[in-house]
Amino acid sequence: MASFSASAGSFSAVPCALKQNQVPNLRKASLSFSGKAFPSYKMPALRFRVSCAAKPETVNKVVEIVKKQLALPDDRDVNGESKFSTLGADSLDTVEIVMGLEEEFGISVEEESAQSITTVQEAADLIEKLLEK
Amino acid sequence: MDLKLNAINFRAPKCPSFALPAAVSLRSPRFLMASTLRSGSKEVETVKKPFTPPREVHVQVTHSMPPQKIEIFKAMEDWAEDNILVHLKPVEKSWQPQDFLPDPASDGFHDQVKELRERAREIPDDYFVVLVGDMITEEALPTYQTMLNTLDGVRDETGASATSWAVWTRAWTAEENRHGDLLNKYLYLSGRVDMRQIEKTIQYLIGSGMDPRTENSPYLGFIYTSFQERATFISHGNTARLAREHGDMKLAQICGTIASDEKRHETAYTKIVEKLFEIDPDGTVLAFADMMRKKISMPAHLMYDGRDDNLFDHFSSVAQRLGVYTAKDYADILEHLVGRWKVENLTGLSSEGQKAQDYVCGLPPRIRRLEERAQGRAKQGPRIPFSWIYDREVQL
Repeated sequence: MASFSASAGSFSAVPCALKQNQVPNLRKASLSFSGKAFPSYKMPALRFRVSCAAKPETVNKVVEIVKKQLALPDDRDVNGESKFSTLGADSLDTVEIVMGLEEEFGISVEEESAQSITTVQEAADLIEKLLEK
Repeated sequence: MDLKLNAINFRAPKCPSFALPAAVSLRSPRFLMASTLRSGSKEVETVKKPFTPPREVHVQVTHSMPPQKIEIFKAMEDWAEDNILVHLKPVEKSWQPQDFLPDPASDGFHDQVKELRERAREIPDDYFVVLVGDMITEEALPTYQTMLNTLDGVRDETGASATSWAVWTRAWTAEENRHGDLLNKYLYLSGRVDMRQIEKTIQYLIGSGMDPRTENSPYLGFIYTSFQERATFISHGNTARLAREHGDMKLAQICGTIASDEKRHETAYTKIVEKLFEIDPDGTVLAFADMMRKKISMPAHLMYDGRDDNLFDHFSSVAQRLGVYTAKDYADILEHLVGRWKVENLTGLSSEGQKAQDYVCGLPPRIRRLEERAQGRAKQGPRIPFSWIYDREVQL
């Protein structure tokens, strides 16, 4: 629930495909839920938030590091949805990409989290999550 | 291998684990682990049958070498006779396990056994876990002879074929057979380990076999064995050193003698691959890169004792911690082979061949870097029981 209220403030900054009128609804909803536990309630928009959480600068930085690791040309299209394996990364490349992200962002990624990263977006989201701490 | 990074995702035909354990290696990069399917894994049906040993998860590929290349190996038979068979020791000059064990025909037998057991008492459990793992690996010899006989162009077609390749394979097997026998008898007499659990593990392991992903190709096969023989030489050399540190000179001699066999075998296998680089540099460098991308998996990675679903991981963690066989060794072996086969100097390669050359030459420092990172964050491992030592606990 704590993450709920924390996210309300950052909503407007998120470049997602959310329509404008959805945002105020969410804010209203989060205000009324703050501090209470509603374990069974699902907010569909929450999932939206999770997948669009990372700032564009973060995603771009990840793209840069991935392109460098995999020696991809600058004009190659790499975006949030790009899967590492499709770009030609093997398991060693993936670990090295994570290492590069650690160095770039000054974070430390746990083994288990590192293994769950399969796309650029997932990497960017994890970075932001770790930076929030 | 695992470098959890494992080696092998990222792992001699008989080689102690490469610390490329999957779930547990706290001190080595996970990437080197060869992937296996455990009975409790979500990749299988949710109904867990009891006593299911792990099995290989990768698709098993066969006959990837183009059949025209079989000719190369036929044409090499005379060369092999003159250059490879010379690395075998005549039986009359070979050591036998009895040379290193108490002599049952002697009056002093009981005293010799007593001394052996006294020395063994001074050796800690974690060392025995590693020695047992090595012994189990050696005892799975049928799997390795089988593996050599899967290779196109060099297999023993009848079991008594007169080709140099077949002569080598049988004699190699005969030399290796003494290793398991010697370690088995030593461990039996030592009184420090649960022989029944060990024997069970061996039965499971031989039943499981292994697929090192050599795809019936002697290129892949001999690159694999070159790597493994060196790995096993390093590993037995380390157990010898540790035995000496623990005051057991006889055990040190045992491990050292086994290590010297492995060194001779390494010399033979690396010579074969060196010749292949001469005859077909492009094909051989592609094979080298292929094996390294697939990672060298450890022969005993499917080991199971009926109790521990992560037995190999646990064993390799201990081997890593004791410095018997580590992720760093994996990188060192790779670097050694790149130098031994002068991969950097290869010329006239296709563009795929050049990519393979770059990959292989650039790989050792990458693995080292990963290993440093893993070491930097290594937490102290838990203590876990090993059935091989009556469920006494050892630090991972």
